[in-house]
Amino acid sequence: MAQYVLMLLEDDDWVNKQPREEKERGYAQINKWWEDLTKTGVVKGGEELQPRRTATTVRRVNGSMKVTEGPFIESKESVGGFSIIEAPDRAAAIAIAKTWPGFGIEIREIVEQRPREG
Amino acid sequence: MAKYAFLFLDDGVDYQTAPTPEQQKVYADIFKWFETNGDKITDGGAELQPTRTATTIRHRNGKATVVDGPFIEAKESVGGFSILELPDKSAAVALAKTWPGYGIEVRPIGDHREGE
Repeated sequence: MAQYVLMLLEDDDWVNKQPREEKERGYAQINKWWEDLTKTGVVKGGEELQPRRTATTVRRVNGSMKVTEGPFIESKESVGGFSIIEAPDRAAAIAIAKTWPGFGIEIREIVEQRPREG
Repeated sequence: MAKYAFLFLDDGVDYQTAPTPEQQKVYADIFKWFETNGDKITDGGAELQPTRTATTIRHRNGKATVVDGPFIEAKESVGGFSILELPDKSAAVALAKTWPGYGIEVRPIGDHREGE
């Protein structure tokens, strides 16, 4: 078994242009997905992030850390959360990602899972 | 206290092939940073393989499309993440400035989304 991070993608249209009832239905499906896959042991953890307008980015520029408001990249699609899953291989991880009720997912294999508490 | 996601940014340089002594020092400093700040970390999160190994799935018009690669091609990318508990945003940004690596995007975490 290998561990993968599912970077849960948001699309501005999905968030802003959908009617409220449609969005609520989407969130309900997402909640159910988390519950079901946590119960079966596929999902090992994860977090939902506040929208990207709340982000602050710190970067090393010429040796010192520079602070800017906003995410590291501005785009129509952005990372809205993470889920850590366990799957036999990449094909299985892709199959799981296809069941995600939200807009999209970027799958990344984990080099190393850091201890929960240092 | 509030929870913040630290998205550790990768500047697009592949260090894994042959790290220079300076890069090895950065790695050692990062290891030390995690040790020093262990009491603030509520979830260690993970270090990710480079974006060239990514696969992206999008749902459009009821169908899932699968493409190789990250959701966005850019010089900078997310190389890992951890969840930390800190008094407020300014404390989170102050701590992010002590990161020995390239950069961090700090994102608040909440049970409920703001304005939704």
